[in-house]
Amino acid sequence: MHISREQNEAATAEAVAAADAAWGALGVTASSVAHSSGHGYAFLRLTVPPAHVVTVAKGLKHDMGVNYCSMITGTHFPDGGAERGWEVVYHLMRQPVHNPEPNTAHVLVASELKGMDLPLEIEVVVPLPAGDEPTVPSVQSVWKGADWNEKETWDLVGIRFDGHENMHRVLNPHDSPEGFHPLQKQHQIRYHDFNEMYDDAQGFVRKPVDEGRVK
Amino acid sequence: MAQMWITMGPQHPMTHGLWTLRVKVDGETVVDAEAELGYIHRGVEKIAEARDFTQVTPYCDRLCYVSAMTWSSSYIYAAEDLLEVEVPERAEYIRCIAAECQRIASHLMWLGAYGPDVGNLTIMTWALREREMFLDLLQELGGSRMHYNYPRVGGVTRDIPPGWSDRLIAKTKLFEKRIDEYEMLLDESTIFLVRLQGVGYATAEDMVEAGVSGPNVRASGVNYDVRWTHPYSVYDELDWEPAVEKPTSVKGSDCYDRYRVRMEEMRMSCRIILDAIEKIPGGRNTTYANGDEMILAKAPTRAPEGATGFSNYECTRGASQFYIQGGGDGRGKNPYRLSIRSPMFITIPFVAETMIGYKVADIPAIMGSFDPCIGETDR
Repeated sequence: MHISREQNEAATAEAVAAADAAWGALGVTASSVAHSSGHGYAFLRLTVPPAHVVTVAKGLKHDMGVNYCSMITGTHFPDGGAERGWEVVYHLMRQPVHNPEPNTAHVLVASELKGMDLPLEIEVVVPLPAGDEPTVPSVQSVWKGADWNEKETWDLVGIRFDGHENMHRVLNPHDSPEGFHPLQKQHQIRYHDFNEMYDDAQGFVRKPVDEGRVK
Repeated sequence: MAQMWITMGPQHPMTHGLWTLRVKVDGETVVDAEAELGYIHRGVEKIAEARDFTQVTPYCDRLCYVSAMTWSSSYIYAAEDLLEVEVPERAEYIRCIAAECQRIASHLMWLGAYGPDVGNLTIMTWALREREMFLDLLQELGGSRMHYNYPRVGGVTRDIPPGWSDRLIAKTKLFEKRIDEYEMLLDESTIFLVRLQGVGYATAEDMVEAGVSGPNVRASGVNYDVRWTHPYSVYDELDWEPAVEKPTSVKGSDCYDRYRVRMEEMRMSCRIILDAIEKIPGGRNTTYANGDEMILAKAPTRAPEGATGFSNYECTRGASQFYIQGGGDGRGKNPYRLSIRSPMFITIPFVAETMIGYKVADIPAIMGSFDPCIGETDR
């Protein structure tokens, strides 16, 4: 019924070998990492230099059948050093989905899946150098699903996606000031404890420390 | 004929929440459409950076107000991956049952909202009536009607109360008969069929390429389901299979297939619930004390820098994913970065494209059939 641990490990090991063979020379490192909770299934983790993101993305899609771009996460590391001031993490999936004939269902049976048809989880980590303009090549042309994920990551974190067409704000107000990306770490968020909220829930009585700050 | 843009929303009966659909029409035909989101962006990802791992759970409940249990569970699996917690088997069973109750309640909310969209008011009253049965069950677990804050890192807050499993079984069996009643009402209603059939075609491969997941993909004839491809919880021990629908056209699934697959999913959820409550370790008529090791494992509160946690979870609308980086706050008590993947955020732009070529009157039928929820979309 479900994908067994052996299938999962075989698929991940195969993907690690394929990734090493294809991109080992480009400075890409591939490893199989197991989740520490639940059933402890393994996934493929790739660390990719920013210059080779599109090469790796195209290889993943066309040679390894990775057809699903599910999440793109940007992170700001102000204390991360020169080599890792920012980081972009792509979560990708391989889903064995094919169009069925009309009036039939393409019912996958887990025990019969093998090779490229096995579902696979991929995490692609791209460390970016510190600086004011973190930039990574866009994979919008590789996976259509990356389009709005990249819009969101630029909107919230301020990572620029080189070559992304029609970039615009999606979650923040569309007239937000240029350069305002709330998930960057210079924007502080403060914990309000219960008493503070209880005494002054609306924030009418600003404490001296709050001068000039939005509560 | 001259073309023009029409703005539908943010206040519009079609939208089921605050967002804007801009459609370009040529006469009655949609020739272009685009979505504008962000009206209820609350910044949950930023707020989580100033909360510890337990305090994040209620915010995740409120990501989607019709499917709170699945969203907080989804977060909890990521937090457990980060903090390396082994969860007791009984807690996993309770979470699985609670999530399936929530899936039924969420699909009923969808059915109740979708009926009036396509001209059937009766189904709204019927579906919301049965939804209350499941909300009552969840309320007994979590204490409140919609936002339960029920799962904890390492287990669940409290055990199932005395007599709960009997009520669960009775209500589930009653509900299985009610699904047949819904089908008698809808599948024989000409208006309903005319509004749904042959409208809003989308193929499985196109949807996966665009990032759509969950019941919307299963409606086009592929049984891809996170619950068996990346099994979490106890779904690998239960007797069930993903609901899947046979699309009638080479163009993929239409609105009617997406309606059908959700009805089948509710049936399957009933089957999972009835199977799980029989197999639950520790017995279905036992109630353990709060914090008992049968339902809650001890969990660390800090995660070192560099540690990451990821969860892939079959939410009611598709695969919801959380990615957490540890080491926030200098001491590791908070997430350094919490990233949320909402299935609907990716789906809504795809649906806007799907509408192209159909009539303006088909827009509510197409939009509603994908089950949009703006709470999770805007986060």
